[in-house]
Amino acid sequence: MNMAMSTTTLTERYIQEVVRRIPADQRDDVASELRTTIADTVEARDSADPVSAEREVLTEMGDPIRLAAGYADRPPVLIGPDLYPTYLRLLVVLLSTVLPVVTAVLVGIDLFDGKGLGSAIGTGISTVLTVGAQMIAWVTVVFAIVERSRHHDGVVGSTDKWTPDDLPEPRRQNKRGASACASAVWNALLLGLIVWQHTAEPYRAAGADGSVDRLQVLDPGLWSGWIWPILVGLAGLVVLDLVRVAAGRWTVPLAAWSAAAEALFALPLVWVLYQQRFFNPDFLTDFNGDWTTPDSFYTGVILVVLVMSGSAVFNRFREAHQ
Amino acid sequence: MAHSIVSLVSPNELILSQVQELRRGTVVLACLVLLEEPQYGYALLETLNDAGVTVDGNTLYPLLRRLEKQGLLTSEWNTDESRPRKFYRVSPEGSQVRTGLVREWRDIVGSISLLTKDD
Repeated sequence: MNMAMSTTTLTERYIQEVVRRIPADQRDDVASELRTTIADTVEARDSADPVSAEREVLTEMGDPIRLAAGYADRPPVLIGPDLYPTYLRLLVVLLSTVLPVVTAVLVGIDLFDGKGLGSAIGTGISTVLTVGAQMIAWVTVVFAIVERSRHHDGVVGSTDKWTPDDLPEPRRQNKRGASACASAVWNALLLGLIVWQHTAEPYRAAGADGSVDRLQVLDPGLWSGWIWPILVGLAGLVVLDLVRVAAGRWTVPLAAWSAAAEALFALPLVWVLYQQRFFNPDFLTDFNGDWTTPDSFYTGVILVVLVMSGSAVFNRFREAHQ
Repeated sequence: MAHSIVSLVSPNELILSQVQELRRGTVVLACLVLLEEPQYGYALLETLNDAGVTVDGNTLYPLLRRLEKQGLLTSEWNTDESRPRKFYRVSPEGSQVRTGLVREWRDIVGSISLLTKDD
C-alpha cells in the first residue's frame, strides 16, 4: 500500500512537472498519455521491484523541462540559432555606441553642474554598469519573448531570409565611422569643458569672509604651460577624427598624425597628473574638505589615460592596415 | 601544409553523433510507414526499436504529437482496455507525405551508393 502510494506519487510528480510547462489546453491529454506510457514501460520491464523500475523509466525519460520543451514544440534554449546573430549584432551596436554616448552625456551634465571630477568619474562608472546591464537585460528579455512567440505560431521555423545585404563589411565600416564621429564629439566636448571651466570659473566655494568665491576646477597655472599641448592635441584629434569620417577609413599617414596628436594630448596630461598639478589647489581644498586626494587616484587616472590613448592609436593603425 | 584541428573526441564518438544526425529524419518516415495500422505510443516504440529504428521515448512521444498537430497523424483514445490508450494513425495527408519521403529516401540511397560504390 505504502509502496504503491509512493510510486504513484513519483510518476504524478514527474507528469505535473512536464505538463505545467505546456499550453493549458493540451495538459490533460498529455498527462493521460504520459501516465499510460510510463505504466506500459514499467510493466514491460517485468521487474521484481516496481519502485526501482519506475525510477529507471523516469530517469530514461529524462529532465521534465526538456520533455516539456519537446511537447510544447520549442527548443529548450533562451535565444535560438535563428535570432542569435541579430541579437549579438544589436547588443554590440548598443554597447559600443549608445552606451558611450549616454555615459558621456551624464558625465558632461555632472561636470557642468560643477560636481567635480571625482563625482563625474563615479557617475561614469555607475552609468556604464547600470545602463549596460539594463541594455543587456532588456534586449535579452525581448529576444527571448520573440523566440517563444515564433515557436508558438508556426510549425516550421524561420521566415526571415539572410541576404548578401546583411554582410558585415559595410556595417563595420559604418560602425567605425560612427565611433570616429563619437570620438570627435567626445574630444570636442572635453576641449570645450576645459576652456569653459577656465573662463566661466563655475565652481562656487564659500570664501573666508562668507562671500562666494568662483574657482576654476583645473590649476590656473596650467594656462601658462602644460594646458596648451593638451588643448592642441585634443583639437588635432577632433580634426583628424572628422577627416577619418570623411575619408571613410584610417590610412597610415592619417593614423600617424593622430598618434602624434594623441601623444601631444596624453603625455603632458599624464605628466601634469603625475606631478599632481592637475586640479586647482583651492578647488581641491574646498571640494575635499578634510579628505586628501590619495596618490592612487592619480595613478588610476594616469593608467586609464594611457590605456585609452594606447588602444585608440593601436585600433587606428590596425584599421589602416586592413 | 594541411591544417588539422586537434580534437578530443574519439572517432567512435564522432561516428555516433553523426549517425544520430543521419537517423533523425528517418524516425518520422518510419512512423508514417508503421502507423498505417493504428498504434499507441509504447507499442510503436517497441516496434520501431525491434525494426532497428532506435529512438527514445522522450523523443518519440512529443514527435507523435507534433506530427498530429501538423495534420500528418490522427489520434483516438481507446478505452476498451484496462488502461486508456491514445492510438495514432496516418491521415490521408500523412500518406501523401510518406509517399514523397519514401521517394526521397530511395533517391538518397541511390546517390550515396553511387558515391560509395568504390569503397
